[in-house]
Amino acid sequence: MLDGYLPAKLSEALDMMAECDCIPFAGGTDLMVQHARGSGVRPCFDKTLLFVSALKELKTFDLMGKTLRIGAAVTLSELLENAATPQIFKEILRQMAAAPTRHMATLAGNICNASPAGDTLPYLYAMDAEVILQSRNETRVLPVADFITAPKRTQRKNDELLTGIRIPAAEFNVESYRKLGQRKGMSLTKASFLGLASTANGRIEDIRIALGSVAPHIVRSRKIESKLTGKNIKDIPGILQELQKDYSALIRPIDDARSTAAYRKQVSLRLIRDFLINCMLKKIP
Amino acid sequence: MSKTYTSIGKAEKKIDALALATGSRRFVDDFELKDCLHCKLIYSPHAFADIIKIDESPALAMDGVVDVLSYKNTPQILHTSAGQGFPEPSPYDQYLFDKVVRFAGDRVAMVVAESPAIAETAAKKVKIAYKLRKALFDPERAMDADAPKLHGKECYTPIGAAYDPQRNLAAEVDLGFGDLKEGEEAADIVIDETYKAHYGSHCAIEPHSVKTYFDDEGRLVILASTQVPFHVRRIVARVCEFPLAKIRVIKPRIGGGFGGKQEVLLEPLAALVSIRHKRPARLVLSREEVFRNSRTRHPVRVRLRSGVKKDGTITFLEMDSLLNSGAYGSHALTVLSNCGSKVLPLLNKIENMHFLGRSVYTNLPVGGAYRGYGATQGYFALNQHLDILCRRLDIDLPEYIKKHHIREGETSKIFEALGEGKTGVQQFVNSCKLDECIDICTREIGWYGKRDKKIRSGDKVRGVGLAVAMQGSGIPLVDMAAASMKMNEDGSFNLDIGATDIGTGSDTVLAQIAAEVLNVDLDAMIVLSSDTDRTPFDVGAYASSTTYISGRAVRKCAEKILEQIIGVAAEMLETSSDKLKLSHAGVKDPASGKRIGYPEICQYAMYSANQFQIQAVASEFVEESPPPFIAQAVEVEVDTVTGAVQVLKLVSAVDCGQAINPKLAEGQIEGAAVNGISYAMTEEYIFSGNGRMINSSFKNYKIPTAADLPEMKTVVVPSHEPSGPFGAKSVGEIGINCPMPAIANAIYDAVGVRLYEAPFTPEKVYRAIRKQQEVQ
Ligand SMILES: Cc1cc2nc3c(=O)[nH]c(=O)nc-3n(C[C@H](O)[C@H](O)[C@H](O)COP(=O)(O)OP(=O)(O)OC[C@H]3O[C@@H](n4cnc5c(N)ncnc54)[C@H](O)[C@@H]3O)c2cc1C
Repeated sequence: MLDGYLPAKLSEALDMMAECDCIPFAGGTDLMVQHARGSGVRPCFDKTLLFVSALKELKTFDLMGKTLRIGAAVTLSELLENAATPQIFKEILRQMAAAPTRHMATLAGNICNASPAGDTLPYLYAMDAEVILQSRNETRVLPVADFITAPKRTQRKNDELLTGIRIPAAEFNVESYRKLGQRKGMSLTKASFLGLASTANGRIEDIRIALGSVAPHIVRSRKIESKLTGKNIKDIPGILQELQKDYSALIRPIDDARSTAAYRKQVSLRLIRDFLINCMLKKIP
Repeated sequence: MSKTYTSIGKAEKKIDALALATGSRRFVDDFELKDCLHCKLIYSPHAFADIIKIDESPALAMDGVVDVLSYKNTPQILHTSAGQGFPEPSPYDQYLFDKVVRFAGDRVAMVVAESPAIAETAAKKVKIAYKLRKALFDPERAMDADAPKLHGKECYTPIGAAYDPQRNLAAEVDLGFGDLKEGEEAADIVIDETYKAHYGSHCAIEPHSVKTYFDDEGRLVILASTQVPFHVRRIVARVCEFPLAKIRVIKPRIGGGFGGKQEVLLEPLAALVSIRHKRPARLVLSREEVFRNSRTRHPVRVRLRSGVKKDGTITFLEMDSLLNSGAYGSHALTVLSNCGSKVLPLLNKIENMHFLGRSVYTNLPVGGAYRGYGATQGYFALNQHLDILCRRLDIDLPEYIKKHHIREGETSKIFEALGEGKTGVQQFVNSCKLDECIDICTREIGWYGKRDKKIRSGDKVRGVGLAVAMQGSGIPLVDMAAASMKMNEDGSFNLDIGATDIGTGSDTVLAQIAAEVLNVDLDAMIVLSSDTDRTPFDVGAYASSTTYISGRAVRKCAEKILEQIIGVAAEMLETSSDKLKLSHAGVKDPASGKRIGYPEICQYAMYSANQFQIQAVASEFVEESPPPFIAQAVEVEVDTVTGAVQVLKLVSAVDCGQAINPKLAEGQIEGAAVNGISYAMTEEYIFSGNGRMINSSFKNYKIPTAADLPEMKTVVVPSHEPSGPFGAKSVGEIGINCPMPAIANAIYDAVGVRLYEAPFTPEKVYRAIRKQQEVQ
């Protein structure tokens, strides 16, 4: 049976969350697939569903200062349509699923699903994005990178709803996103690479590198990044090998139905190299 | 031929287009049956095992569970599920349910319940105990003395073909001519390479579906998503031990077949449920079941050995094909035969040739009919082989093929030596426009200017590739098709045909042929097809036969009708038949200038004098199978960082004789080309260590989306086949044969790595590029 509640207000939803054990249901594009049973048979859930996508309070999208605030019920399509969404984020969103799925799917769902193949995650990690968690009595804010603890595991408590996501602003003049899938459209990620950097006068001021689908968690290392910050771009080739070795230790992919561990690892390292050499060197004045 | 046609060659709309678009014409699962029982199959998780025990009681104890079928309570009749002519050329090696399971996905039992949900749940409650046997996964080891044996001595082939279950040999073909040794001595170089075509699924959007019920006269009606309604009737009657006269098979609209529904898999099971319970039954597979448990493209390992002189003359060619038939031998002999018979005649000037083909059993999914039917696998090898040959001798590939391929007026010894499972028929090629096809391809792809140029942008390199192929038009001396027509008093005609439109548009094409003969508009034709009670026989939709063979039957039938119409008109106009001329939907006497319309003629025949029904039946049985020809060229871009290959453009130029309906012909070619690109680029069966397919869903088994497809250019080259209806040959299969070798050749052109095995995934291409860099 598909038993569910459609709360009219956020407070009502939080009451429900406090009083009964329910599954928050946003676009359902992960949940419906995960609970599919067989052809011609409806999905079956063992708990009550709480439909959150109609909650007006979660449909907000605004800029607070320079921080982008995205409500938990905002769909990927709505993010794509919004002028305030950064271009590189749009490029990532455009390569997710296909239009019909994006019309339903939410950013919050992608985060809470906590899959290492979640395509928005490398960006959220790289941007130091935060999630807002609300229960009847408490509101707390956590970095996305802390919120997700392991594949399919988060710090969300049973009575909490994720109500919003905050993405602090940052400007970059070098941006590269590569998603490797089995095909172009409607394809889960085998490996993805995101590189963001801002440079001035041939010097690296800020650099962020994140990789998806190549380890149990999103790979981002501030320690490795700090080896690059402040450096002259022309010095990158000299430390490239060391950097690749550092990343190599973090990239721990698996074999599955989509690809092999060996391919994921080698290509990730090549994409890092491609970004650091080909994309960055172009910025030497 | 400069004849002007009224209907032939016109891009008429499919006659069922509007009804399909509005949803008024139905597919099997759209038929609502009252009190219907729902069936769910239970499959083996093991590749090879004996069933020790089946305990149905926990399932039967559930509310709403009606029955559990297994070997215990179903007829035990050896048969083949291949929907072929009788006696079938495939070995009789399967039962509806057996005590032994031979692949992970073999059927064990079937639950029958009041709803799909109950059936799903109950299927998990049936307890089955197995005793495992050592499984066989490597076809190369299948004939080893110590290999596990899949089948026992009781299995046999009804046509007496080479078959030896004791050696896991499902079929064997061994023939040749000339002298290989002599050929080898005359050669300057010998090229010896091995190519592997892999498993593939048809991916018809409508899964295999069947519904059965008893009508008010107590006859068993089978609504089936099938390519072969008459074979369904025959096989169900035999394996269910139920009188054929009491069975009526109806094929409604079909959401694609591609060969996957030339297999009688579900119909006997649903029929048994209706017979046992006197209630309607429904059995519809999920996508996962279609992947794992229905039929696939046979993987074939092809070794080609050839000797070549410096000028390019091939002094001998040896083809050794090993076909992995999977657990059962469905189509094992005929697909194997076509791997040679549809491929080798293309190079008919070779004097010394040998073909050795073997089909072997393994504990893997079962092969079956699939668009291209062995030719796809054979041409993957041959087209790469020719590319290798031309590169070694520094010869231009298109010019080389033009010089060596079979031409009009020529024959090949292979035609006579090798048919579909038996010896073939001598035939001469009466139409071949392959040169034109090749020229169109090289021009459209920009061959001269791109080939060998390795055009670079950043890490991406471009390359071009070409491949050619022929196919057949039906199976000569085997296939038969029939049509029946009658005239109505408004000048319309009932056209009843056994031919099976599975989305191909054959209802439209056959109606166009009749309309042309009778000089009427297409909407004067009322088409009824594929109902075993109401239409005459036809073997069904396979072997690229419908336009050619069924088309000839329809033409013959319409000509008989025309003769009667003119006879009546002559009586009405008081003149003789030979003085009369056809005018649109009527008959004219040029001498008197009088014209009478079809309605008047039919009314006269029905009501006025010497009354009779204007009607006719005709059937066709052919002695030749004129090959269509195709050339396909591609341009690809290889990303050397990731190994990802993007097909940028694909050109297809085809000689299918006169295209009866050019739009539908183009649709067949483009559909087949996409099918071929998909097979080449992403489609792949991935198995776990114990032979279980692990990517049995569209989530992990990818076919292309619109975003993945290249720019496509399709040209139907003017041609005329003298033996075809209005000059037509076939077009349904041929377009799948070339994308895979053309892409392989293009990848080589771009980055210099030869891929002998598809799909060309980034993983494979990346590895090949790295390996080559290490060597250098
Ligand atoms: C065809 C298809 C293609 C896809 N392609 C991609 C792709 O390319 N890349 C990719 O990353 N993903 C892809 N996905 C996965 C999926 O679409 C995304 O993960 C999507 O963002 C999930 O959002 P949703 O709103 O549908 O989540 P839901 O399915 O509604 O929920 C997902 C999880 O999040 C929880 N949840 C949702 N909202 C809240 C909330 N407000 N508070 C607390 N918990 C919440 C749910 O309980 C559940 O556990 C695809 C899915 C499909 C069906």
